[in-house]
Amino acid sequence: MGGQAGFGPVLAGDEPPFQADWEMRVAALTMALRLREAFTGDEFRDAIERIPPADYLAMSYYERWLRALELLLAEKELLAGHGPATGHGAAAGDGEAAGG
Amino acid sequence: MARFAVGARVRARPGDPDGHTRLPRYVRGHQGEIVDDHGSWQLPDEALRGTIRAEPVYAVRFAARDLWGAGSHSVIVDLWESYLEEAAQ
Amino acid sequence: MSGDHGELPVAARVRQLEDQVIAAGLTTDAELDEILAGRYRTGSPANGARLVARAWADAGFRDRLLADGNAAAAELGFGASGGGGYGYRLKAVQNTAQRHNVIVCTLCSCYPTSLLGPSPSWYKSFAYRSRTVREPRAVLAEFGLELPAETEILVWDSSAETRYLVVPARPADSAGLAEDALASLVTRDGMIGTAAF
Repeated sequence: MGGQAGFGPVLAGDEPPFQADWEMRVAALTMALRLREAFTGDEFRDAIERIPPADYLAMSYYERWLRALELLLAEKELLAGHGPATGHGAAAGDGEAAGG
Repeated sequence: MARFAVGARVRARPGDPDGHTRLPRYVRGHQGEIVDDHGSWQLPDEALRGTIRAEPVYAVRFAARDLWGAGSHSVIVDLWESYLEEAAQ
Repeated sequence: MSGDHGELPVAARVRQLEDQVIAAGLTTDAELDEILAGRYRTGSPANGARLVARAWADAGFRDRLLADGNAAAAELGFGASGGGGYGYRLKAVQNTAQRHNVIVCTLCSCYPTSLLGPSPSWYKSFAYRSRTVREPRAVLAEFGLELPAETEILVWDSSAETRYLVVPARPADSAGLAEDALASLVTRDGMIGTAAF
């Protein structure tokens, strides 16, 4: 990123650290998972950098964080068996439980 | 032990390593001067491959003219020792 | 399908991920609420401003701050840590009549959150990250900071485990002010280097 041309002016008035409630929730979830040592800071940065470049540039800052969290949790299989898409055996046909 | 002393001329390694690194592209292959020793910190490149090893990190000052061909400012980048080699004489 | 994250609106993806992480036992609603309520968020620009004001008022403290930022911050009761509580080396850099310092992180968004609070959106933008190392004078002008042509500019790219704090030059009209009054003059942008103080 350093030195790359073409990103235009810095929006110096672009102040709030969080521009939507969900951004703050992504940051909180990241902090909780870091405190739990679910992954390291290096792993998190690496996951952000592994987002394909075209997607990376199209995403906002916290969208990249969200994608990195999804990627790391999937790779480390930390959610295995707990996702809404995989649980609920007999209730799988129930529209409410399947959750779309 | 720190390999480089403050004031030493160094070159950031050229090339494009596989995987995560904290050696920014824009300084690779460029010469600079050590201006501070930050102590030893875990090397992220190796930590991600399972090897936990700390090594010295230095503040390295590069002249904008060397990096960009123009400019009177300096850019100071913090680099792990593995990212550096002695500058050519 | 619920497994296809890309098709959900982003806020719904976040809710889904929170539910999955809680179901996996990796956090709880209560913990997330505490984090969101700021229980773990001790960082604020007021902390950095106290360090700067003390440095302006007390040359001995200024020298200690420049020599060992962590020890000087600890004198005022401040730790040096990032969002997850992980430590960093604090390095304070001083502006003078001849020299101006500005901080950036080109690789991601490293920032001394314990002393400055969460970083502003522009600090994390592609424009700031890409251009500050290449044309700092133009970037600073976009913040309304026009430096004399002879002022030397040092751009610090926080690419490792050191976090930087700019100690602005003390405003000329601040003689005689008490430390609290000095602290109220110091802005977050002054401590990043995108404002004069």
